[in-house]
Amino acid sequence: MVTSPKTRASVSDRGLCGFAWIAPIVTALVCLSLWELSVRWFHVPIYLLPAPSEVVRKMFTDYKLFYEQSLPTLAAIVLGFGMAVAVGVPIAIFMVYSRLFRHSVQAILITAQVLPKVALAPLFIVWFGFGLLPKVLMTFLISFFPIVIDSVIGLASVRPESLMLVRSMGAGRWQAFWKVRLPYALPSMFGGFKVAITFAVVGTLVAEFVGSDSGLGYLLVMARGNLDTLTVFAVIGWLVIIGFAFYYAIELLEKFVLRNRGRNRARDLGAGL
Amino acid sequence: MSSSAAPLIQVRAVSKTFRTSQELVPAIQRLSIDVRQGEFVSLVGPSGCGKTSLMMIIGGLLDADHGEVIIHGQQVRGPFTNLGIGFQNAELLDWRTSLENILLQIEMRKLPVKQYRAVALNLLRQVGLDGFADKYPYELSGGMRQRVALCRALVHDPDILLLDEPFGALDALTRDQMNYDLQRIWLEKRKTAILVTHSIEEAVWLSDRVLVMTPRPTDVAEDIAIDLPRPRDLEVKTDPKFNHYTGHIRRIFQQLGVFRMPEIRRGN
Repeated sequence: MVTSPKTRASVSDRGLCGFAWIAPIVTALVCLSLWELSVRWFHVPIYLLPAPSEVVRKMFTDYKLFYEQSLPTLAAIVLGFGMAVAVGVPIAIFMVYSRLFRHSVQAILITAQVLPKVALAPLFIVWFGFGLLPKVLMTFLISFFPIVIDSVIGLASVRPESLMLVRSMGAGRWQAFWKVRLPYALPSMFGGFKVAITFAVVGTLVAEFVGSDSGLGYLLVMARGNLDTLTVFAVIGWLVIIGFAFYYAIELLEKFVLRNRGRNRARDLGAGL
Repeated sequence: MSSSAAPLIQVRAVSKTFRTSQELVPAIQRLSIDVRQGEFVSLVGPSGCGKTSLMMIIGGLLDADHGEVIIHGQQVRGPFTNLGIGFQNAELLDWRTSLENILLQIEMRKLPVKQYRAVALNLLRQVGLDGFADKYPYELSGGMRQRVALCRALVHDPDILLLDEPFGALDALTRDQMNYDLQRIWLEKRKTAILVTHSIEEAVWLSDRVLVMTPRPTDVAEDIAIDLPRPRDLEVKTDPKFNHYTGHIRRIFQQLGVFRMPEIRRGN
């Protein structure tokens, strides 16, 4: 089974060192160049589509404006996502341990997910005003579902033999949860966190779009009203950067927490597919 | 082999029926077994005949519908913890090194982990895994994982070993080696051991007694005392007496209508 992982792994590693990390940069550069060249070639007016070089210049010359407006957005993302984790994970745990609870909340959970949250946003403003609270709630609502679902999948995927093993060692429920069930669930839970954090950015933006007096979403709406397409693009640029930063922060945390697992063994052994 | 003392493990008229969505599947029917202190007993039988369920019932990890299990003169209610279990898939936790997996046994029992480190390392040495203490399961072969699991079953020095087909997924050479190691450790510690296996040879080679099980709902078809001197080496397998036992067991299975010969196992 572990015949010669070293030789095969080194082949794929060499491939990685040569190409893998440059590949996304090359792709991005090619796309941006095409965009830049077409805008210049066809003389597209800036209020329709600004060239990427203009967008980048705008992003960094007006950084102070963007920085100030990004603070409320960042706060809403962090608080909303944090709340989704803090509420979603315990709900998932209860759902796994209690069949009654699972059946009770399942319908509500799915309703909350299929219901278009954009439709709720105006209500939130009626109820909670224009401040931070409606944004946090919207972010929470949108990022909550993948966390619950993936945590339930992870917590339920524990091997029954593993639980029997620790019970034969005299372990109680609590020990079995901390030492076996939770570690089993972590890879799947991180999957949910990664989906949720990208949703969280969207959630905050939706809330700011519908009604808010600050934030990048608010700036976006203002700029669009003034036909200031360049600012719209600059905001989008910053949002992309923020999205990436949050996503990779979660992934970095995942890599740290799961550092000892032999994941990607299929790739390391060159199993293909 | 007759002992006047009460058997260490007594299984009394145990029955177990599983409920699937459509039907009731009787797995064990009024089964009784006695295992004496220090005895090595194997259960051999066709796949899915309820041997694993029986092991779990003995360990108190599964409730019987009827009947009782008595260990040390006391009825087993809930998990019986003075034992070590070995499973077919080793059941090592992926995120723990070999040593940490062995010491899980100690942590769960709230015993002093530091003191047992040396015991665990010594066991690893005994099964030929010197220098593998800090390896993670994904860095080990199937046989190595089973050896670590065996160390985990032994580290707290339990009275009883329950081995549920621990070598079923291993190749023949590794399996012989594992049997050899197991015999050596057993001779040294004389634990009371119950082994579930599909391999008639393995059962005869390792055991003091082989219980031949019927297909589901399972019961003991025959209780065969294995009278071969110990320590046994692999040469024993060519001994006419050894072959007499294996041939006899095979004939019992044929009479029981177990057409699938027991030594043909699932691949892996």
